[in-house]
Amino acid sequence: MSKGRRWVVPLGWLALLLVATFGMGQLEGVFRWIEADSRQVIYARADFVTLLGRHLLVVSVAAVLAILLGVGAAIAATRDWGRDFLPLVSQLASIGQTFPPVAVLALAVPVLGFGTLPIIVALLLYGLLPIVRNTLAGLEGIDPGVMEAARGMGMSGGQILRQVELPLAAPVILAGIRTSVTINIATAAIGATVGASNLGDPIISGIVNGNTAYVVQGALLIGLLAVSVDSLFSRLPLAGSR
Amino acid sequence: MRLEKSGPNVVLLSLTLVALAAWLGLDTVSVAANRIVPGTGYRVDEVIGAGGALATALPWLALAGFAWRPARRHLLLALVLVVLMLSALPAWLALSAVTLVDAPQARLGIGAGIWGVLFLLLLALIELRTRLVLSRLLGWALLLPPLASAALCLARWLEPLALWQEYRGRSGQFLGAVGEHLLLVGVAVGASLVLGVGLALAMRRWPGVQKAGFGMLNFLQTIPSIALFGLLLAPLAWLSANVDWLSALGVSGIGWAPALLALVGYSLLPMVRNTFVALEAVNPGVIDAARGMGMSRGQVFRQVRLPLALPVILEGIRITTVQAIGLTAVAALIGAGGLGTFIFQGLGQAAMDLVLLGALPILLLALLVDALLGALTDILRPGGAE
Amino acid sequence: MIDLIHVTKRFGDAVAVDDISLSVARGELCVLVGTSGCGKSTTLRMINRLIEHSEGEIHIDDQQIRAFREETLRRRMGYAIQSTGLFPHWTVARNIGLVPRLLKWPKAKVQARVEELMALLGLAMEAFAGKYPHQLSGGQAQRVGVARALAADPDILLMDEPFGALDPITRQSLQDELRELQSRLHKTIVFVTHDMDEALRLADHLVVMHQGRIVQQGRPLALLREPADGFVESLLGGEDRGLKEAALLPVSQRMLPLGPRLLARERIGQHASLREALSVMLWRHAERLTVVDDDDLPVGELSLRRLVGVRSDE
Repeated sequence: MSKGRRWVVPLGWLALLLVATFGMGQLEGVFRWIEADSRQVIYARADFVTLLGRHLLVVSVAAVLAILLGVGAAIAATRDWGRDFLPLVSQLASIGQTFPPVAVLALAVPVLGFGTLPIIVALLLYGLLPIVRNTLAGLEGIDPGVMEAARGMGMSGGQILRQVELPLAAPVILAGIRTSVTINIATAAIGATVGASNLGDPIISGIVNGNTAYVVQGALLIGLLAVSVDSLFSRLPLAGSR
Repeated sequence: MRLEKSGPNVVLLSLTLVALAAWLGLDTVSVAANRIVPGTGYRVDEVIGAGGALATALPWLALAGFAWRPARRHLLLALVLVVLMLSALPAWLALSAVTLVDAPQARLGIGAGIWGVLFLLLLALIELRTRLVLSRLLGWALLLPPLASAALCLARWLEPLALWQEYRGRSGQFLGAVGEHLLLVGVAVGASLVLGVGLALAMRRWPGVQKAGFGMLNFLQTIPSIALFGLLLAPLAWLSANVDWLSALGVSGIGWAPALLALVGYSLLPMVRNTFVALEAVNPGVIDAARGMGMSRGQVFRQVRLPLALPVILEGIRITTVQAIGLTAVAALIGAGGLGTFIFQGLGQAAMDLVLLGALPILLLALLVDALLGALTDILRPGGAE
Repeated sequence: MIDLIHVTKRFGDAVAVDDISLSVARGELCVLVGTSGCGKSTTLRMINRLIEHSEGEIHIDDQQIRAFREETLRRRMGYAIQSTGLFPHWTVARNIGLVPRLLKWPKAKVQARVEELMALLGLAMEAFAGKYPHQLSGGQAQRVGVARALAADPDILLMDEPFGALDPITRQSLQDELRELQSRLHKTIVFVTHDMDEALRLADHLVVMHQGRIVQQGRPLALLREPADGFVESLLGGEDRGLKEAALLPVSQRMLPLGPRLLARERIGQHASLREALSVMLWRHAERLTVVDDDDLPVGELSLRRLVGVRSDE
């Protein structure tokens, strides 16, 4: 695939997302047909650009924190001084995978209250797991011969980590980040039920008020956002190689 | 594994110290005058006084002592101590209920301290189970004493516990919700198993189906569940309005029909992927030998390929089921029922204990199914468990 | 150059290496040989501190290895292992330049050194420099591994079964190359193998290890002639020892000057081993061979009686 062409698909999805976000109002006719009985057919409590922005903000803050913490924890647990924690961390990461995201989100609310903070914390916690698991798998999966040679050649711990371990584990780590972000885009939408305002809003409000047009508007944008981000990840240089 | 190492068990030691800090520093319980008002938190020393609080630090210090010199005997003692402390948590709630709650309307809430300590003790249990190389079954058996203690305390002293009140207020509804939840998950997993295996077999025969099928399923998996539920709403509503026999069946834009469709859609990918990979990954040497011995194609498939692939297929069923349990919770949003109903009702009424009543069983259900199917996979693997 | 003095290594209660003493002289190729689990790899890895020894002292150039920082110590020793350990995400050239770059050599010097080493190991620059390890054959990868070990021109080279995973033909040609290389570079090499033929072919100094101890060490021929015990004898091949010894001795050592008799029809080079000479005799049904020099000119003759070591001919 040539350099320019690989970005065509994600950019196409992104363009579609932007068109849908900015142009939702123009589609009033279509939604009028879906939801003939309602007075209002375009969700108007907040404009879609704001909702998209908030959605992205929450997901990216959680993702950045989850990457820092998750990759950091996995690196710590695979160093000599942290190796004692490895069995616990890896078991925790695999058990944690069975926690349904909704349940995690719901459990965060009693502790942290309503609003944006519990969502970020819940997304962070849930997003940590695939990142930790994949970083561990990536680091542990490196050919022991390579590690032995690296040490035998006299590379320091930091040099081995930066020049050997992280580059070799990068594709697996990136796959974990991709899973984490994709799940979190979906979970964040459910966050609309605990008082965060984002692309989940139109869906919840549509379901509550029986307005299918709202639901479709929210669902369409979230779907496009998820597909765009996922397809961006799949085109990152490291994701597909080797 | 590394029992011979003489230094302290850093993991257990840090878990113990953090848990001790959480125990003494955070609110263990809260008391609210009624269902809606927020409660007041009580730390350990506010329940039984500073002296009593110091006394409760003793078992923690003993645990830290065992962690400091982790000989096998010490680790076994630590394991017993952890189980005892887990069993003591419900007793602590009971004690708090008796001491703090006087009005009949008042409710006892579980505080961050208890949740934190519960979590950290369970981690300690996992750590000890790993260090002592205990079997998975024994690990689960260790949870029986704490569960028994919880049951006893609930029956005798924990009437004011908010979570318990929420349950007793709707115990019939609760069982119904569990039933609905399991039914939806069961039907969705069953349907996707049948469809998935069929699809996987078709993919093995026709490579074209393979590429298109995986492309389609991967794409479907990317779309957030809430969006898919939402997107199905419109077409199903239209169908039920225009096709009589469908509406007679109860199909509508809201309810079980879109939920089930979306669940099956999501469940297909892990099911197909695992079945396909399992069937493909059977060692070609074995297949070659079977053919060479004169087994027919059908015999090779039924007697060699399928049994060898079974553990991986089961793994697919496990992943699918756990995922479906979580997704079904979301389906409550579109009126499909199940335990998710409590979560969203609770969120709507700002009744946190109702949220817990929905979320905790979902969590437990997921863990339970994961453990059961995991054990089944181990048993079916040639050579038996572990 | 390298001295191990009463070195012991324990893993928990298990003793992996038990009170061994060993001296490797400058420019010597020392081979540690033994069955798997005998402690030979552990011994090797204690020299560059990949494993820390529990007791005793290890010296390099009369300095305790613990006086160096681990990384400094390792950067002045080459290290080649069976799995090559080439970094899969780096090109061949970048892999070879690893240690010089760690030592912060200027870019041009690294580049020149890489080219020099690739030429030395018969890897054509334009064909291989940009390749990735997974594009190489086993033999090529191992050549790159050796080149990487030699990159910073270390005095000492540690090799842990470097040729163990190769097919016999490739293995033999790499053994020949190593010997050839050694005759020019005069490195101090410690080489671990479980293959006795390889050990006998390569060693100046042969060390036989068993259950963590050195059971015998010395020149290969000395070991062949007088194995210390039954274990060494069976490791050396029991009844096959005669052939193994013959493989170590050159024809020139047993040949007689050209006599008055007619030249025998079958010929053998003077640098060939007695084992090859015997094989020619068996194959050609000949009792005498004419020994020729590199220009194919007769320089002597070898009879079966001389070959098998009967002292007086006739």
